[in-house]
Amino acid sequence: MSEAEPAGDTDADNAAGRASGEDDARPWNDRRVGQLLTVAQREFDTVVRTRTYAALAVVFGLVVVALPSLGGLAGYLPLVLDLLTTVEVLVPVLAFGFGTWTVLADAETGELAVIRTYPVERWTYVLGAYLGRAVGLLVAILAPLVVLGVATPVVREPATSVLASHGTVDSPTYFLRFVALTCVYGLVALALAMAVSSLARSRRSGVASVVVALLVVVLGFDLLVVLGVGQGFLGSGTLPLALAASPPAAFRGLVLETAAGGLVETGPPAANAAASVLGLGCWLVAGLAVATLRAWSPVGE
Amino acid sequence: MSDTDPPVTESDGESTATDREGANGEGSAGEEVVVAESLHRSFGDLTVLSDVSFTAESGTVNCFVGPNGSGKTTLLRIVAGLLAPSGGRLDVAGAEGRAVGYLPQNPAFRAQFTLTETLAFYEDLADVEIDPVDVLARVGLDAVADRRVGDLSGGMTRLFGIAQATVGDPPVLVLDEPSSGLDPTMTEHVGTVIRDLAGQGHTVLLATHDLGTVDRVADTVLVLDDGVVQVADSPETLRRETESETLTHAVAQYLVGEAGGLTVRTGTRGDGENGESGEDTEHGVGDDE
Repeated sequence: MSEAEPAGDTDADNAAGRASGEDDARPWNDRRVGQLLTVAQREFDTVVRTRTYAALAVVFGLVVVALPSLGGLAGYLPLVLDLLTTVEVLVPVLAFGFGTWTVLADAETGELAVIRTYPVERWTYVLGAYLGRAVGLLVAILAPLVVLGVATPVVREPATSVLASHGTVDSPTYFLRFVALTCVYGLVALALAMAVSSLARSRRSGVASVVVALLVVVLGFDLLVVLGVGQGFLGSGTLPLALAASPPAAFRGLVLETAAGGLVETGPPAANAAASVLGLGCWLVAGLAVATLRAWSPVGE
Repeated sequence: MSDTDPPVTESDGESTATDREGANGEGSAGEEVVVAESLHRSFGDLTVLSDVSFTAESGTVNCFVGPNGSGKTTLLRIVAGLLAPSGGRLDVAGAEGRAVGYLPQNPAFRAQFTLTETLAFYEDLADVEIDPVDVLARVGLDAVADRRVGDLSGGMTRLFGIAQATVGDPPVLVLDEPSSGLDPTMTEHVGTVIRDLAGQGHTVLLATHDLGTVDRVADTVLVLDDGVVQVADSPETLRRETESETLTHAVAQYLVGEAGGLTVRTGTRGDGENGESGEDTEHGVGDDE
């Protein structure tokens, strides 16, 4: 291998002084798909076999089930409204709990250096790790929501005045949309957790980074928007776009626009739905991009 | 393997392997598998490797020794493809699949998985088919194939790290401190494993402070100090040239500069005659870099 020679796709290629072949030049081939699934399986198995993740999932599930149940399950729409704030705060916490010790754990133990001696690319490793953790995270998110979704028609109480005053009809469709949006929100938060995992260089800095990232994600953006409105930087035209740039605000806006029936029809739009989807998509891509770029620096670069 | 000033000098290794069929290399016995020319590596203003040249032949064990901070780990990471040299050239003989197997200084694997599962993971990454039990048998761990990695002792984890390094039969094995922290029995076992791997055709490059193991397994000892390979030759030749009874004393004759807070006597071949032997034989106990 010489610095003047073209770099291979992987550090293993570089160690062997190989440039990438035609088959390897394709972003997808059987080997890469196989490696991606292998990494994903390893991450999922790690989640399943680690008590800490089980404990996190149980605590999350208990809180999500208990809070709306305390006030009585009056229907799907009240359930969505009861869960909105809880989920908005707890899903990022759960996602960061599931996603922070991925790249960071391998880097800290030195196993990442071993992995790099195999012909595996950064994006294959990061995307595989993300997929494996995502499956575990989605199971943890969906389990309590499914319990609530099944229990609601069984223990349903009389319709609330909120529903009556807004003339809407309760429907499981709203709840299904809410569940889908919650999963998307969780996946976005997990991508950001992966980025933190790649950026942190030690367990201690990882913990600090998680706390800071959670504060920024859950509170920071909303506070900036409030500040912007207070200072007059944001008006009625720009406010929905600013909210779309904040993951929790984008999630909240999408829930109110699409999963809360006609609740918001009498007032101004809660969010620009397209901008919110774009905002969440950008955060997801940005999180995974940062995680990939920072996982390691290829020797050839 | 030899220092390359002059460029290539033949090693007089006395126990090179005869079976070259095992490793995934293309080379036959004695073929140069690793060639390094004037490797240079700096970290900011700190130059760790200034001009390192050597070659390593197939089926040989090549041991880098030197004081802490002499650049052994840096050099091995460059050979393993984990670090780019700041300058110079490194050629590792091409092979289908994985070219270099690597044992880090402190090997660690996910504790939740069994040895078999962990090897299966690396098997898939290497895109090869292996029998995990066979791979574990190479290092004597086949009896605990279904044990969780987290339940292994430090020595067994290190042996497992060596087994992992052989997945895909890479022609070159880079082992960083393979016997660090092991008891004498385990150290001897690791030495036997390393010799066996060389016997199967692997070219082994290892860094260690354990000169007892070096004396037992090395075809070539490369004394790395002050950013260059001070000397490269067989243990027997080094002892003979320095008129030393032990390899520890022989190696000390080639150390220059300061290391670990101790001033090392500058020496050339034959300096051991001046009666200063022994005081600098403790160099290099501990981690590198």
